[in-house]
Amino acid sequence: MKPMLSTDLNAADTTVEKAKIEVKNLNFYYGQSKALKDINLSLPERSVTAFIGPSGCGKSTLLRVLNRIYELYPKQSAEGQVLLDGKNILDRSQDLNLLRTKIGMVFQKPTPFPMSIYENIAFGVRLYEKISKAEMDSRVEQALKRAALWNEVKDKLNASGLSLSGGQQQRLCIARTVAVKPEVILLDEPASALDPLSTAKIEELIDELQADYTIVIVTHNMQQAARVSRQTAFMYLGELVEFDRTEKIFTSPREKRTQDYITGRFG
Amino acid sequence: MAEHTVASFDEDLRQISRLINDMGDLAASMVGASTKALLETDNAMAQRVVSDDAIMDARQRELDDRAITLIAKRQPMADDLRNVVGSIRMAGDLERIGDLAKNIAKRVGSVGVSAAPRDLTHSIDSMAQLVLIQVQAVIQEYTVGDATALAKLRNDDERIDVKYTSVFRELLTYMMEDPRNITACTHLLFCAKNLERIGDHVTNIAENAYYVLTGTQLPANRPKQDETTMSAPAA
Repeated sequence: MKPMLSTDLNAADTTVEKAKIEVKNLNFYYGQSKALKDINLSLPERSVTAFIGPSGCGKSTLLRVLNRIYELYPKQSAEGQVLLDGKNILDRSQDLNLLRTKIGMVFQKPTPFPMSIYENIAFGVRLYEKISKAEMDSRVEQALKRAALWNEVKDKLNASGLSLSGGQQQRLCIARTVAVKPEVILLDEPASALDPLSTAKIEELIDELQADYTIVIVTHNMQQAARVSRQTAFMYLGELVEFDRTEKIFTSPREKRTQDYITGRFG
Repeated sequence: MAEHTVASFDEDLRQISRLINDMGDLAASMVGASTKALLETDNAMAQRVVSDDAIMDARQRELDDRAITLIAKRQPMADDLRNVVGSIRMAGDLERIGDLAKNIAKRVGSVGVSAAPRDLTHSIDSMAQLVLIQVQAVIQEYTVGDATALAKLRNDDERIDVKYTSVFRELLTYMMEDPRNITACTHLLFCAKNLERIGDHVTNIAENAYYVLTGTQLPANRPKQDETTMSAPAA
């Protein structure tokens, strides 16, 4: 099914903005099982889009298709098109390393490498670029500043990344993602394991990052989706049920299934 | 509407609906009693309206407390959010209706001592009946969830405005005819203005209720027929 966007003339219609990513007729399979059913969706550039829905609805699967990380696992396949700036990234000719520099990802559990804070960031940059020590120092500093972590770690860059708190580790992972200069950042439940203060810092960071990046966030926390995103997609049983401006989804959704889910009436 | 997974959430929402219903019933009874007291110079009935206003205020405070607590505890979304915020606003209008009814009741003594022309009280009576029907209908239509009826009800306020304009002119005529009517007629003029304002609060409630039920706002322009400002300063 194709979800309809709001036709409200006063609304900031998501269709008129330039699309960074366009998902067209996407189907996804875990072996024989169909996990995504004919998804059509357009993600505006430099804007935050949230995917919400109950467990198993396909929201994380959809996120994982966007940088083809699903290919790390056997028997998983995608059909259809995912256009990044008009170019289909599901095409066999797509260079996966290049794709993943353009589309970075941050996971639910912070995943710092068992190395120093500095190296956590420099490691990824070195994979793609050869730059001088001075340039690398500057890149690390910029990335840590962008992730709002610099002031907390600038005096202990050689300390292990694992010595940081959970919230700091997650911001380190965001810094690591930002350091390779991506165009899109995918966040899979980035704050679900964090305390409220660390969560607020991550949300503040998302708010700042959207000026430069296209951001997609999967979250079970509806208030978080309502706070951080400009458009929200509600998914259920592998279908995209409704996609609209976030304020529309959370104040007067079009579909009954969306309403039942966000008001806690499901099942 | 399906129930929430968390049953106590439904109970919280039911309490708020119950308060809106109670306040609606009380508002209708106060409007009815205050105009009856005015027309029949019944001071005891007027006094009951004055004391009912304290109950109305207490209900509104209880609703505010419950609504704020519900927002803090449940973080309502979509129709639930519209329901809670809409209820706070509707309760505000109902409380104002109570104030205006009380104001009519407090004038009973002043009007009662002068001999207001009988014809005049007929006009006020028919205006009050129009207003009372609107007050009773608005909460009833909200409770049954009839958005179409609410949109119509909002437009029906025009009839009250037309009636007010005619009462206003009638009162001016009586005052010009015989200056001894001025005191009573001035009080009655305020009563008529209060009834007209009650109609406006019903309109607000209808607009809020429509939004709660549908998620869309009624268009801003509504028929407006209060023409008294064309011929005299507004009361």
